[in-house]
Amino acid sequence: MIHADRKFYLALLAPTILVLLVFIAAPIAQSVVLSFHRIIVGLPQLQNPFIGIENYQELLHDSVARHSFLVTFVFVSVTTFCEVFLGLLLALLINHRFPGRGSLRACVLVPWAIPTVVSAQMWRFLFNDSYGLINYTLFGNEVSQYVAWLAKPGTALFTIILADVWKTTSFAALLILAGLQIIPDELYEAARVDGAGIWRRFRHITWPLIRPALLIALLFRTIDAFRVFDLAFVMTQGGPADATNVLQLYGYKKMFVEGWMGYGSAISVGVFIIILILAVIYVRMVGRRVLEANL
Amino acid sequence: MKDLKIKVGVFVAVLFMLLVAQTLAAEEPQTIVFLTWKPNQPEVWDSLIEQFHRENPQIRVKVQVGPHSSTEYHAVVTQRLKNKDPSVDVFFMDVIWPPEFASAGWALDLTSRFSKDEQKAFLSPTIKANTYRGNIYGVPCYLGAGLFYYRRDLLDKYKFDPPRSWTEMLSQGQAIVEGERDPTLHIFSAQFKQYEGLVCNVLEFIWSHGGNVVDPESRSVLLDSTDSVEAVTFVREKIIGKAAPRGAVNYEEPESLELFIQGRAVFHRNWPYAWAVANDPEKSRVATKVGVGVLPAFEGHNPASTLGGWQFAISRWSQHPDAAWEFVKFMTSSHSQTRLALDGGLAPTRVRTYDDPQVKEKMPHLKSFLPAFKTARPRPMSPLYPMISSELQRFFSQAIAGSRPDIQNLAKATSARIEKILLMEPAIK
Repeated sequence: MIHADRKFYLALLAPTILVLLVFIAAPIAQSVVLSFHRIIVGLPQLQNPFIGIENYQELLHDSVARHSFLVTFVFVSVTTFCEVFLGLLLALLINHRFPGRGSLRACVLVPWAIPTVVSAQMWRFLFNDSYGLINYTLFGNEVSQYVAWLAKPGTALFTIILADVWKTTSFAALLILAGLQIIPDELYEAARVDGAGIWRRFRHITWPLIRPALLIALLFRTIDAFRVFDLAFVMTQGGPADATNVLQLYGYKKMFVEGWMGYGSAISVGVFIIILILAVIYVRMVGRRVLEANL
Repeated sequence: MKDLKIKVGVFVAVLFMLLVAQTLAAEEPQTIVFLTWKPNQPEVWDSLIEQFHRENPQIRVKVQVGPHSSTEYHAVVTQRLKNKDPSVDVFFMDVIWPPEFASAGWALDLTSRFSKDEQKAFLSPTIKANTYRGNIYGVPCYLGAGLFYYRRDLLDKYKFDPPRSWTEMLSQGQAIVEGERDPTLHIFSAQFKQYEGLVCNVLEFIWSHGGNVVDPESRSVLLDSTDSVEAVTFVREKIIGKAAPRGAVNYEEPESLELFIQGRAVFHRNWPYAWAVANDPEKSRVATKVGVGVLPAFEGHNPASTLGGWQFAISRWSQHPDAAWEFVKFMTSSHSQTRLALDGGLAPTRVRTYDDPQVKEKMPHLKSFLPAFKTARPRPMSPLYPMISSELQRFFSQAIAGSRPDIQNLAKATSARIEKILLMEPAIK
């Protein structure tokens, strides 16, 4: 009987496993295989030889890759922190009951619903040095004060971070809001009866109970931020002076612009490993927190 | 009853004959695929292809449209040719690709079809760009070169002749900007974003200072030579944030042209297409006030323009190379060149088209482009150009936009990287 059950479960699982294999496992395996070969699209004469870990050795000594990693790291840390922090504030706000809450909740999601390519283009126009609304708002007609946002390494990275925070804060807010809504109202009422102020209610009820949701928001945002590509691709193409050359963009350029398939794959695999490690750490933390919360 | 049988019989027979006739007819014309990107005026191209169909009823051309950006389009074309896709017959090829496509064996060697005599009818830089190791792989369709646009009205007002040297451009511009008392007026606008256009722009400074990236004969890297480094330093110190707005570090062609046609730059570097835009009163505030000519140089050196433009090439994997060649021949004929110039505003590659009375009448400015076209210089010719370009883009962008770059050292490091790339070239036999 148990045996038959097992078969039935397996049959139910089969489609999912198949999809995962074909669309997730196979491409990853393919990238790993490619990364062990010297494949240069413009040089078919090379015959795509197997070169072991040479691409990875080169990657470790590649100063451009190191710089790209640094840029990506700054991007990930700043955006993740800002998004989760602002997302928390936003979630607390829209968790309150007030007239128009429903429509406000819908509005909050609008930036997240806009395709990144479109919002990236929008921010590029807003930050345009001569005609952008940002300069006009800040400096009015003082043309000489206008800042060329996308033309300086520091501010260029800042604009991309801002565009990402604007876009995905609402996603973080949504996740945290879900956490807030499972907190029973009775807890707050009891605390209020005991004379706890707003800060104590937050500190001792809300905060411990939404930590799992916060961690999940962190997990999603960190992993997603590591994969940033489209913002930099549309807004700066990695410039100026490589200031926004995030890892994925660097890998894309190596593969599809320079035709260096093997090396580009090595970069992708590198990003994959980083994300995998992060995911494992987070999932373990989340797992434990959820367990503790349930106890 | 018998009647009906006959009727049905006749009907079936007719149907059968129709079917046979249709399959025969369908097999008759040969279909060739032309892979290109969406041109600015598709109707001009469509009407040319229609005419080709009328004159060659045995060939049908199917147009496939790729991305507009040259870099993105390059990715599409290389992916298809690398996989030996037989469904591409003719493709449009950027001026920097022939060495790569020839050495990889993707472009058909056209030497036997495109005779040396026939080649003489074209502007020589375009022929050189399509030649790799003595053989020719593309037929030039239209060309571009870096041109120098200026505000004729302002130069006249301050009694200046168009500047011959970069320093003269700066001093004239300084005088005009001060005289006009307009805080939004800049001296110069050009393309300095980290992309292919940056290479074209900075190379013009390097070449007009006697420098170069790679010596075409000895293949040695000259990027860290004094001539090259001084030119790059000049761009950083005198152009970016001084003559040109700091924002130019993120400008491609459209943004830089916008500045010029809004009357906010005295001088402007761009490709030939900018002429029509700058003189279109609906788009431009400086229509009819614009002059155009050869780019300035540094004192004691010759001016230099980067060669751009597009060619027709035939895929090595094409099943119908003869039909493909008919199409290429038609599209690059004198007649098509005249049409593309008159209706599409594109600069012809055939020398004689510049003397065509219609072209002369409708596009008198083309004559002033000719000196720049005849001396336009190719970017480093290498099958590995995409890699070299990435290195150049990174170096130039760091040199002009970085916070405190050591240009000499950056040039040295970049030279070493380019040397490493060039070392891969001998692998090609």
